[in-house]
Amino acid sequence: MSIEETVPDGGTITGDEASADTPFGTVSSGTMSRRDRYKMLANEWVIAPFKILWDDWRARVGTLIILAYVLMGTVGVRLVDPPRVGEGDRLVSPFEDMSHPLGTDNMGNDIFAQIVHATPPMLEMIVAGAVFTTVMAVVVGTLSGYKGGWTDQLLMTFNDILMTIPGLPLVIVIAVILEPRSPWLVGVIITVNAWAGLARAIRSQVLTLREESYVEASRLMGISTPQIVMKDIMPGLMPYILVNFVNSARSVIFASVGLYFLGILPFTELNWGVMMNLSYETGGALYTWETAHWLLAPMVTIVILSFGLILFSQGTDRVFNPRVRARHTSAADPEEGDEDMSGEVATHIRG
Amino acid sequence: MSKTDDTQTATTAGTGAGTDLSSIRVDDPIVEIRNASVTFDMERGESRVLDEVSLDIERDEILGIVGESGSGKSMFASALLDAIVNPGVLTGDVTYHPQGDAEVDVLGLSPEQLRELRWEEISMVFQGAQSSFNPTITIRAHFEETIEAHNYNMEQAMAHARELLSDLYMDPDRVLDSYPHELSGGMQQRTLIALSLVLEPNVLVMDEPTAALDLLMQRSILSLLEDLQEKYDLSIVFITHDLPLVAGLADRLAVMYAFEFVEIGPASDLIGNPTHPYTRALLKAVPNLDTPLSEMRPIDGMAPDPVDVPQGCSYHPRCPLADETCRAEDPTYHDVTSDHQSACFHWEDSAEAIPLSTDGEHGETQAFAGEQSDEPVVSLEDVDVHFDQVSDGGLLSVFQEPDTVHAVDDISLDVYENDVVTLVGESGCGKTTLGKAVIGAQRPTDGTVAYRGQDIWEAKDSRRETDIPYEHIRRSLQMIHQDPGSSLNPNRKVAASLKAPLKRWEPDMDPDDRQERILSLLEYVGMSPPGDYAQRYPHQLSGGEKQRVALIRALLMNPDVILADEAVSALDVSLRVEVMDLMLELQDLFDTSYVFISHNLSNARYFSGKAGGRIGVMYLGELVEIGPAEQIINDPQHPYTKVLRWSTADLDIEETVEDPPLRGIDIPDPVDPPSGCRFHTRCPEAREACTRAQPTLDGHDDGTEHRTACFREYDESHEYWESEPIVDDADDADVAVGGSDSDARTDE
Repeated sequence: MSIEETVPDGGTITGDEASADTPFGTVSSGTMSRRDRYKMLANEWVIAPFKILWDDWRARVGTLIILAYVLMGTVGVRLVDPPRVGEGDRLVSPFEDMSHPLGTDNMGNDIFAQIVHATPPMLEMIVAGAVFTTVMAVVVGTLSGYKGGWTDQLLMTFNDILMTIPGLPLVIVIAVILEPRSPWLVGVIITVNAWAGLARAIRSQVLTLREESYVEASRLMGISTPQIVMKDIMPGLMPYILVNFVNSARSVIFASVGLYFLGILPFTELNWGVMMNLSYETGGALYTWETAHWLLAPMVTIVILSFGLILFSQGTDRVFNPRVRARHTSAADPEEGDEDMSGEVATHIRG
Repeated sequence: MSKTDDTQTATTAGTGAGTDLSSIRVDDPIVEIRNASVTFDMERGESRVLDEVSLDIERDEILGIVGESGSGKSMFASALLDAIVNPGVLTGDVTYHPQGDAEVDVLGLSPEQLRELRWEEISMVFQGAQSSFNPTITIRAHFEETIEAHNYNMEQAMAHARELLSDLYMDPDRVLDSYPHELSGGMQQRTLIALSLVLEPNVLVMDEPTAALDLLMQRSILSLLEDLQEKYDLSIVFITHDLPLVAGLADRLAVMYAFEFVEIGPASDLIGNPTHPYTRALLKAVPNLDTPLSEMRPIDGMAPDPVDVPQGCSYHPRCPLADETCRAEDPTYHDVTSDHQSACFHWEDSAEAIPLSTDGEHGETQAFAGEQSDEPVVSLEDVDVHFDQVSDGGLLSVFQEPDTVHAVDDISLDVYENDVVTLVGESGCGKTTLGKAVIGAQRPTDGTVAYRGQDIWEAKDSRRETDIPYEHIRRSLQMIHQDPGSSLNPNRKVAASLKAPLKRWEPDMDPDDRQERILSLLEYVGMSPPGDYAQRYPHQLSGGEKQRVALIRALLMNPDVILADEAVSALDVSLRVEVMDLMLELQDLFDTSYVFISHNLSNARYFSGKAGGRIGVMYLGELVEIGPAEQIINDPQHPYTKVLRWSTADLDIEETVEDPPLRGIDIPDPVDPPSGCRFHTRCPEAREACTRAQPTLDGHDDGTEHRTACFREYDESHEYWESEPIVDDADDADVAVGGSDSDARTDE
């Protein structure tokens, strides 16, 4: 006996059973063109998040700052000539000579040009480090949190070992052994065990999310684990992940600059940290005003980038908030925006 | 505008504009509220969550305030204590009369005076006892802190505290030395009541004090309240959404709708002869045990938004009697009798237009009993589910045997096609675990769960082909969760949530058909325009709407059995009947069976009764009685079912809240269930034999569907009839009550 016979309503519903009087029988009358669908998707995934981001002044300033650095690293390097020894006088003060807007160092190198040309490797390093940290943490965290059991124990043991190894000495040892030159590799080395803490935090969040009723409902509907993780668990974690992505980007900047300043990473390329090291070691920038600009220029560059990243991360939090999203996705319908206020009213009344 | 100015204008407006305050006056008021309004400024306008409310609370009365959620009843409670949270603005007058002619203008008090007034004169008990305690200090510290803050004599006050605790049937020493988590929900709530009374206030405001508790505990606390009120001369304001619950307790009732009182009167009058259409509709909408099923009707429409309360009478959009006057003018109070007022122009006609009892005229309402199959769809045999409880003994716990919680013990149950089985019981009795075992969401420790003859867990584990593949079983057994708030993914739109099951099971379906099907289903369950609803996020839906979406999502799988875990408990009373009707209607359409879980016998009766289904009563992991719905309700056999029946408040106001027909009100610890019949520690009929042997459902066969696991059902030859009744000594009784539940509730 086949199942279809024993279970008359267990099969597909699209067949003859779908008579007109049940809402299950409904078949669409019009069709939506492929273009409309892409348009809708674009609206939902690109335009709406961008609008939300743009609505918040912090995110707006942060985005602009990050954009400026990206431009500096891509277009800037083509416009500004690379620094050459003796292209100007030694130790020109900033804002004196407009051909050297930020002045020159003790070899007559243009500081502005140095900063610009140090940007691309720096950005590569940041991206490599932040992506590595986030991907590792998310994969390990969600896998061990959602799967539980042996997978969890194994991953978390490994994770805990990584967490207990002190980060800086480990990085120094690896850097000395490998002498990395590629900025991508440097980024990964710097964050080699920085992801462990984040993975644990994500795991604990997954542990609470997996007990939610809607996750259980998805499980009971037979939806596959990867789908549940992607659709039900990840969106709840996204604000947290994004904030941490940006934070690890910042820590990559500080760590790399620090390591270059200490002279642990090889001086092969221009770097803001190298500049600071040289200004201190050879220029004595900490003791004399003559060379102070040589130290301050890279410092300010770093601070502004870090500031931009912080503002950006605070703004991104809103992108994944369904309450904010609801107001933006259907901007055409002004009623919609009011709708989510009713939740607030209810809280007031209950309060 | 300053507060005094406001008060003056409000008073003049009140007397001038014809709000006849004389009608709501009482002889000896302890608190007078005049024209109290609470407003919130919001982006989209002023939200008025309490609208010119005037009311007197009489000395030594119990005043019941009834309203649906969002009707402003909690605002009223906060207004009494001038405790409206920012940015709310309270205007009007609240006058407190401590004794005779003395007057205190509550809204004019300084913060320090207000602090003294609260708790010492007027105190409050909140809904969630769990969150009212500080988990890091003992109960004793809570009492001492309160006493110290108000500079009372510590010794005297603590003595009073102990007296209060024993008045509430708890062991003072044990409770005072406990941390909050060591007490069960019911004990916490009782402790909170004791805490609120320790400074001997005159007025006690209780905001849904029992909403989070089991019916049995609710009822027990209510009977204690009545004693307390007499002993300490309290005036009690009891705020609840549950009309039957306060009907028997309160002296006067006030019904709130859309942020104002629509009807006020003595409890017996208001229940017996309600005149406001809303009160009448509410009485018919509340599931209870007495009203014939065919006479229960949901209230159409929705309660208004506080920003946009309808012009004229706020109830007119939902009222069958509404006419031009109602739309234009706000009705004032009309005297029904000298102490019964109704804010309706048509109070004289309402009785005729909205009859409470239809005298069988509407007898033709659908019964949803479909064809039930002979073969069970899901069949449970001797199912056990045990959980190991990890004790918190630190490192040493490795060497201890983990405590085992017997969530489900040796239960057999068959669910047929088109069947409705309702499981009833107190929290922690294992009804949810059993329900999950039925739909294959919880692996049983022992026993088998079979879907159409195929063992579910064997199908899942075995690598070779089984008669019915696991995928098919998985698809056929679905669930609707209790909390509408978390049953839908907050990050996905309704349409996306609903598409997920279709994408999984019918991946070839045309996206446009998918869309259309979802829209037509939304429309079918009354969410229109469906296009608009499909694009909403869950937070933009009301609780009832979320439950409807969850219901559709389960039905899109075209399942054979749906587990509805307290699916209507979180909804407003007036909505419950409507959602249950919808579920039954869809059952008819899709030929599914429901396993419905409820702690509420009224809901169980409505749901099972209307579909001709069964009710199963659970106690501490065991099924103690099962049978057709009406038989269980009207002719309960097991003493525990009788207790549940007692605990379900009905609308009979003559009946006072009596002492419960059981010997202890707290449930024993499920880690260490009593020997023999598990109910024997609380059972009024228990005899010596019950402590030794365990009665079974099949122990006696009288050939009916109604089966009971109690020795009283066994024939005369059973040793039960010979053995000695268990009698508690008077001294032991208190200890049994307070001490029987030794640890915090493990389940829930």
